[in-house]
Formats: sequence, structure tokens, C-alpha cells
Amino acid sequence: MPVLHRKLIRDLVASVGTLLTVIAIMGIGTGAYVGLGTSQRILEESRADYYRQYRFADFWISLKKAPRSAAERLAAWPEVASLRTRVVFDVLLDVPDAARPVTGRLLSVPSTGYAQSINGIHLQRGAGFSEDRDEEVILSEAFARAHGIEVGDRLHLVLNRRRQAFTVVGTCISPEYVYLVRGPGDLIPDPTRFGVLYVKERYAREVLDFKDACNEITGQLTPRGRRQVEEFLARADRLLSPYGVLDLVPRSRQASHSFLHDELSGLAVSATVMPGIFLAVAALVLNILMLRLARRQRTTVGTLKALGYSDLQVTLHFLGFGVVVGLLGGLCGCGIGLGLAAAMIRMYRQFFEFPSFAYSVQPDLMLIGLLVSVAFGALGALRGVLAVLRLQPAEAMRPTPPERGGRIALERLGWLWRRLGFRTHLALRSVFRNRVRSLTGVFSAALATAIMFMALVMYDSFVYLVDFQFEQVVRSDVDLGMRDEASRAALLDARQLPGVQRAEPLLGVTCDLRHGYRSRRLAITGLSAGHSLTAPRASDGAPIRIPSTGLVLTRKLAELLDVRVGDLVELRPVRGRRTVRRVPVTGEVDSYLGLDAYADLEYLAGLLGESSALNSLQFRVDPGAQADLFRAVRSLPVAQGMNVMADTRANIARTLVETSVVSIGVMIVFAGVIAFGSTLNSALIEIGDRVRELSTLRVLGYGPAEVAGILVRQGLLVFLAGLLLAFPLGYLMVSGLARAYDKELYRLPLVIRFDTVLQTIGLASGFMLLAQVIVYRQVRSLDWLEGIKVKE
Amino acid sequence: MSETDPILRLEGAGRTFRMGEVEVTALAEADLAIRSGEFLAILGPSGSGKSTLLNLVGGTDRPTTGHVWFGDTDLAAMRDHELTLYRRRVVGFIFQFYNLVPTLTAEENVQVATELVGDPLAPAAALELVGLSSRASHFPAQLSGGEQQRVAIARAIAKRPRILLADEPTGALDLVTARQVLSILQGLNRREGLTILLITHNPALADIAGRVVRLASGRLADTRENPNPIDASDVTW
Ligand SMILES: Nc1ncnc2c1ncn2[C@@H]1O[C@H](COP(=O)(O)OP(=O)(O)OP(=O)(O)O)[C@@H](O)[C@H]1O
Ligand SMILES: [Mg+2]
Repeated sequence: MPVLHRKLIRDLVASVGTLLTVIAIMGIGTGAYVGLGTSQRILEESRADYYRQYRFADFWISLKKAPRSAAERLAAWPEVASLRTRVVFDVLLDVPDAARPVTGRLLSVPSTGYAQSINGIHLQRGAGFSEDRDEEVILSEAFARAHGIEVGDRLHLVLNRRRQAFTVVGTCISPEYVYLVRGPGDLIPDPTRFGVLYVKERYAREVLDFKDACNEITGQLTPRGRRQVEEFLARADRLLSPYGVLDLVPRSRQASHSFLHDELSGLAVSATVMPGIFLAVAALVLNILMLRLARRQRTTVGTLKALGYSDLQVTLHFLGFGVVVGLLGGLCGCGIGLGLAAAMIRMYRQFFEFPSFAYSVQPDLMLIGLLVSVAFGALGALRGVLAVLRLQPAEAMRPTPPERGGRIALERLGWLWRRLGFRTHLALRSVFRNRVRSLTGVFSAALATAIMFMALVMYDSFVYLVDFQFEQVVRSDVDLGMRDEASRAALLDARQLPGVQRAEPLLGVTCDLRHGYRSRRLAITGLSAGHSLTAPRASDGAPIRIPSTGLVLTRKLAELLDVRVGDLVELRPVRGRRTVRRVPVTGEVDSYLGLDAYADLEYLAGLLGESSALNSLQFRVDPGAQADLFRAVRSLPVAQGMNVMADTRANIARTLVETSVVSIGVMIVFAGVIAFGSTLNSALIEIGDRVRELSTLRVLGYGPAEVAGILVRQGLLVFLAGLLLAFPLGYLMVSGLARAYDKELYRLPLVIRFDTVLQTIGLASGFMLLAQVIVYRQVRSLDWLEGIKVKE
Repeated sequence: MSETDPILRLEGAGRTFRMGEVEVTALAEADLAIRSGEFLAILGPSGSGKSTLLNLVGGTDRPTTGHVWFGDTDLAAMRDHELTLYRRRVVGFIFQFYNLVPTLTAEENVQVATELVGDPLAPAAALELVGLSSRASHFPAQLSGGEQQRVAIARAIAKRPRILLADEPTGALDLVTARQVLSILQGLNRREGLTILLITHNPALADIAGRVVRLASGRLADTRENPNPIDASDVTW
């Protein structure tokens, strides 16, 4: 082994403390890259395979009722590659273990070949449909698991007002329900409350009075059709309008797909931004470290050159430091990345259901991570080497010119300066004289703190979102969907149900809203006068009364349609007489999930030309009498779906905590390593540079704590400066995030509490102090007798 | 001038340093020939330009005026990599503060030099020459100043240089140790005919050289031939 390699190894071992801090930061950068990249790729590939194999559809058209002939006409269009008709109904079902009625979505599938059909299903357990019985059902795997339902169990469904017993012949998953939610309004899957039930095609049509008809058309388009899907759907809408087109959904707006897509695009952004930030910090810290190292080895560099080593040889030798650090950081990072990917895949498994969704090692990502880490390491080292190499050997061997002396600006404030004591003087001078190092420290502290701040703010925002949507806007205890539109009489009946303290009607009408060339299809919610169980709110949380005429739009919807209060929009119901009306926008409210519009119930019914109608009910329920209510609802023939808001809230809250532990925890730990690492790194460099000075103080009789106090003060100054910058920086980051997440599906409110600021400061200080403890121990174990002998 | 050809020749070689506004002339235009095989001492007080001259000769610095001839090539006109080769093959350096690599043992420090050239002395043999075989695996911190300087000598001679440049090699040593180090140098000159350039501010040391050049304020003041140099072991101050 060439002797310089031996020197390299010994030098590395000698500065192991400082190197470890850099390796840790480097490792986290690479780890973030490998971990996020691996998760992203596995998720993406699982999705692509799944979609391809089980023929995930490009469009869904839900209708009131359409004859087969209509679907056949659509199928003949050139851009339609293939399509399938089916019947879809939400039903209430009796699940043995559930104290409350559960909503299930009944979907018809071919009795054979259901894996190969469009939106095919992948059987997880059981043998699937038999040939001899009709009353068979295949359940969503998660739903069956959540309720402890086994293959062979019996399940009761109310179909077309008749209670029927079904045999569970299998459990399955499907590309339509990778994210098992009812629709875009559901934030998080809850298989205890919602599941899909697949029944035989022919049987379902018979029982549900859909012989030779369907209420949903779903299909795949040719590549050309896929590019113009909106235009295709608009034409399909015209073709099918006689049959009551309730909704036209391209793949991009399909609920499960949207959630998956958003997660993937978020992941793609994080997978570039996060590693970028960490590696940049690592390069900065390493750069400072190398600058010191090269400066400390100035004489050695000069000597090597005097002996006849070429610049290249010396450069390579010093680059070795960076390369080794990069390599070790990269290897660490691969380990961290594998752990991170495994944890993320485990987390995703709770939300996303794929036939094969296993975590696997991605060698190319690891290799890239390693190379990038090594490159950053070498880059960080390069500047240090070049600074010394520029010198002629004779110059390099001369003792380093004394550190820039002279006063720092602060010293002109004599009265203040004199109060500070000499150790603070030393700390201040050192901070201001090593500007690059101090600035890097300030920057790292600011960045780390800002990331922690962002993580905490994100958590608060989620909590606020859930509270806003599920406590403030929706205030009911139980929501009940009706099978068909019902009259006022149903409301009076509902008030008689056991335990009901208050009942309010809702009318949901799916309409196209158009303003200029912009349009959106959504359900307008009609609220009765004096409603209190749904309380739309302004951004500041104040409840908004729904005026007796006109529409109240949520902020995002108004933005998408480019309308303001006072403007007119065109409203066209998707069923009934479908007359276009121009209605005024009379108010604006805020919401963070989906797109909503509200109107007075009577006004909305009037627009439809119907007298007071309703299609769902909201209840406030006496908690003691809930069980009675659930029992009564089960035998209510008009009831279609039921939502117990307390369960929804609990599920969301639980899931929020579980996922936050991973994502927010990881962010805080990563940021903590930056704060800890950069603080410790500069303190250790400082100790190395000032052995003589610190040792002299020890000889003079100062204790280790007093000597460490100088370095701690210095670290504190840098940290405090970083803290000042952290919050503006953090604010930029969270507001950027809020802007990035301002989507149709959901939006992130910007919630900044004073508490969060304090928590952030507490957290960041914790990591910083941890580093100071190590600084203290280093100073205590300083061999100061040796130190005063050191030749500068 | 002597009958022997000069191995190195300074011709109007000068070096000035610019420190912001002021220019410091470390060495005014100097003419000096170093003969092959001679033991030449450069004597002068601190700041007189001795190290500057040595650096010009050793190829660790470039003159700002004039030429440094090595044979018929001018060091002043050499490119960086040529200068590197010159340092590698022609000169051996001994520094006032030894300049050993602290994280390498004595033997490894010699190896740092031997790995550079094709036909070096074995590191062990070089250490043997300076009487340090028993300390081969010691780190610089475990050696006395004199021992460190002997390691530095071993490192310099192990490359088999054509000229040995020693800048105050005994500056930090006591008399007894200094005699030891100087004896080694004198022995190398006498036995192997190695050209040696010794720099010192101590007139007593100059007596061991065959010729003494005095420097004062960056100028060559005078040259004195010393036909009967004293033995290094008789040096005293
Ligand atoms: N790199 C440099 N930059 C500025 N001035 C320099 C530089 N190197 C040498 N000098 C100046 O040139 C003059 C000669 O320096 P040199 O090191 O040659 O002296 P010296 O004779 O070796 O002294 P000493 O015995 O103290 O080593 C001094 O005044 C010194 O300050
Ligand atoms: Mg000198």
C-alpha cells in the first residue's frame, strides 16, 4: 500500500469525530434519495403492473339508467378500445360484528373471467363464483379483514327492498379501489365503514330491475382517445343525456387513482428536493472541514511538493478524504434508504392495496446514490485542496499568517463590549473572523429549524383541516343517504326515529356549472333554512348563512370557474329536464376537501322544478340511544348509506397520527441530524484549530466547563442567528407547500400557531444542546499538556 | 572559479515579494555558482534572504528576475510539472522544523520520498545511515528533535539526490545533537561526494563547509574559501 494511503487512513481515524458528523449528514441525504426513490419506483411499478394486468379503465360514466343499445353505440366510437356496462349501488348491509349498519358498494362483475374484464378483480382468498348459486358475493379484502369475515360466511344485503342472504365466496382487490374510498370526499380509507361487494352480473341486473340496462359504463380508450378524454366525455354526455348522466369521470379524476397519483407526484418532488437539500448541506460542511484539514496540513502539502510530489498526486491524496467520506456516507445512506423505503412501503400498505407490493432493493438507485454522495464528497474536498495547492511549496511551508487580527465591528460599542467578559469576546471574535464557517453554521441551523417548523406546521394543518371539515362544517352525528329522492314526509318520519334529537334534510343535485369556457360537474348541496348540522364557513371559520337565492361556492371552485360574488353562472342539472339556468353567485365559503357548492334547499328544488325534495338526512343523536337508532335504520327500506361521523373522525385522527409518525418523525430526525451535525462539526473543527489556546486556558486554571463555555457561546451565537432566519425561511417553505397542495382533491390550510414556533425552537435547541454536551466532553478529555506543545 | 563545473548557477536571480502596496526585496539580483561535490554554507542573519535563495535553488519558488541554471536549463522558465520533476530527481530538502508527516512512522516518512523515484535507497538503509534503525517504527511525536532531524536527513538522501539543501538543520537542536546531525552531512559530502548547501545564521557552523557565502539584507556580501574545514564533531558555540 502506498505510504500516502496509510497517511490518509490515519488522518481519517484522527478526525473521526468531525468526519462522522459529515458522514451522518451525507448518509441522510443519500438515504433520502435511495429511500424516497425506491418507494416511488415500487409504488409506480406496482401501479403500472396492476393497471395493465387488470385493465384499469380510462373513463366512468354513471347514469340513472341506460339501455344496452346506448352503450353499444358508444362502444362503436373509434376512440373506444373496449367498454363494459355494469350496475352499481350503494347498499346498507348487516355485518355480524358491526354494531352499526355499514355501507357497501355493490358492483356487478361477470360471473366468469372477472380477472380479465375491464377493472378486473384479483382474488385474494376463496375460490370465486360457483356455477350453481346466484347469491354469492366477493368482498374487498380489507373490508372482510376489518370485519373478520371469512370465506363461507353469510352476509345479509337489502336489495331492492328485499333482504337477501349471500355467501361469501372470496375476497379480492381491484385497481379501481387501490385506495379504498367511496369518492373524492373521503380522505382516508376506512374498511370498517366502507367496502365493495362484487356480485354476478346477470343476477344483479335481475334483482335490481336492470335487465338489458345499466347505470354505469366504464371502458378503455385508444391512445388517441386518451389524449382527448375530456372532449370524448363531453360528446358521450350528449349521446347519453336522455338516460340521466350523473357523472363523467376521466381516469385523472377517479378517486383512488387521484389519491395514488397525488401521492406519487408528491413523492417525486420530495425524492429530488430532500436529498438535494441534505447533500448541499453536507457538501458545505465537508467543504469547511476540508478547508481546515488542508490548512492544517499546509506544511505537509508544501513538504510533499518540495519532495517532488506533483499537484495531481497531492490533489488525489486529499480528494481521497472526500471520496472516503462520500463513500461511507453513501453506504450509510444505502442502509438508511433501505430502512426508509421499507418503512414507507409498510405505511403505504395500510392505504394502498396491490396484488404484489413488496419492498425490493433497487441496485441502480443505490449505485446512483453512492456515486452522487462520492461526487459531493469529492466536491466538498476539492476547494480545500485547491486553496493550498495554489501556493508555491516555499510559501506553503511558511507558517500560516496569523489569523486576521483587528477588532470586530461590535467592539466599537465599548460600553456593551466591556460588559461581556473575555470568553464572550473570544467567542464573538471567532464567529466574526471565520465568516464562511459561521455563515454555513447559520445556514444549516436555519435550514434544519425551518424543516422542523415545516413538519410541525404540516401536522397542525392536517389537524386543522380535519377539524374544519369534520367538526366545523359537518356537525352531525349520523348522516343517512336515501335510495331515492324523498319528500318532506320522510323528514317527519325520521324525526320519530329513536334517539334523534335533531334531523335536517339535505338535497344533493349533480349539476354542470359553467362560466365562460370553464366548467365543473359537482353535487350542489341544498340546505334547509335554519340548518345547523352542516355549517359552511368562511376562511376565518365564521359560519356563513346560505341566502335564499343563488349559489354559495367554495373558494377553490370559484377560482376554477373564475367567478366572484355577484357573477352569474350557468347551471344545468344532469338529470330531469336539464334546463340551463343562469343563477347568481351570492356567497363564498372555504373548504379543504373536494369542490362544494351550497344553495337553499327550496331554491335548489325550485330550479329542478320539483317541490321540496331531499335525498339525505343529517341527525344529531342522543349518545345513549345510538344503538336503537342503528337498529331502526337497518330495517328502513329507503336508507342507502350511513355515515357515523364520530367513526369518521376517529379513523381520520388515528390514521393521521400513524402516518405522521413516519413522515413528520423522519423529517424531524433528518433535520435534527443537520442541526446536531453542523453544530458539532464546527465546534470540533474549532477545538482542533485552537488546541493551544484552549490548553493554555486549562493550564491557567480554567475548568473544562469554563473552557467549553467559549465554544458553547460560539455555537449559541450561530444557532441564534440561524433561528432568526429559520422562521422566515420556514414560512416560505410552508406557504410554498400550501400553494403546491392547492388541488381540486384537497388543499392544505396554512395554520401557524405561536405554540408551534415555541415547539420548533424547543426541538432545534434540543439537538443543538446535545451537540454541546459532546463538545463539553471533548474539552474535558482534551490532553492539554500535549496541547501546549503543539507547534503551529 | 574552480576547475569543476557548477551544478547550479544563479545569474542575476532575485526575488521580491509584494505585500499590498510595499515591495520587499528578499533577495537582490544574485550571481552564484554551486560546484558539484562542494559543501557550501550560506551565512547570514535572520531575514537576510537565505531561505529565499535556497528556495530558488531547490525549485520550490521562482525568481522574479534573472535565471537559475541547472546545466543549461533555466529553472525560472520551467513549467510546474518540470519543476516537480526537478525537485523529485535532483534535490533533497532538509528543513529547519523537520517537516515530518506526523501520522507516519520514521520509516514511512522515508518511504514518502522513496516511492517517488526509480532507484532509491531502501528506507531501512537510509535510516541505518543516520543511525536510527532501532526507531524505524516510531512516530515523530515519539522522537526527539535531533532524531526527527535525522529522519528528515534519511528522507532527503534516500532519493539519492544530486544536491542536498539544508535550511538551518540544527536551528532547534542543542550543541551535542547538532554535532551529530552535522557529522552525518559532512560524512555524506566527504564519502559520497554529495553536493550540500547548508544554510545557517551561526558563523561557527560555517567552518565545516569548504566555502562560505555571506548574505546581508538580501545581497551576497562576500565569499570565503575554506580549504581546511573543521570536523563537524569539533563545532562549538
Ligand atoms: N512569502 C513571503 N512574503 C513576503 N515576504 C517574504 C516572504 N518570504 C520571505 N519574505 C521576506 O523576505 C525576507 C527574507 O526572508 P527569508 O525567509 O529568506 O529570510 P532568512 O534569511 O531565511 O531568515 P531566517 O533566518 O529568519 O529564516 C524577509 O524580510 C521576509 O520577511
Ligand atoms: Mg529562513
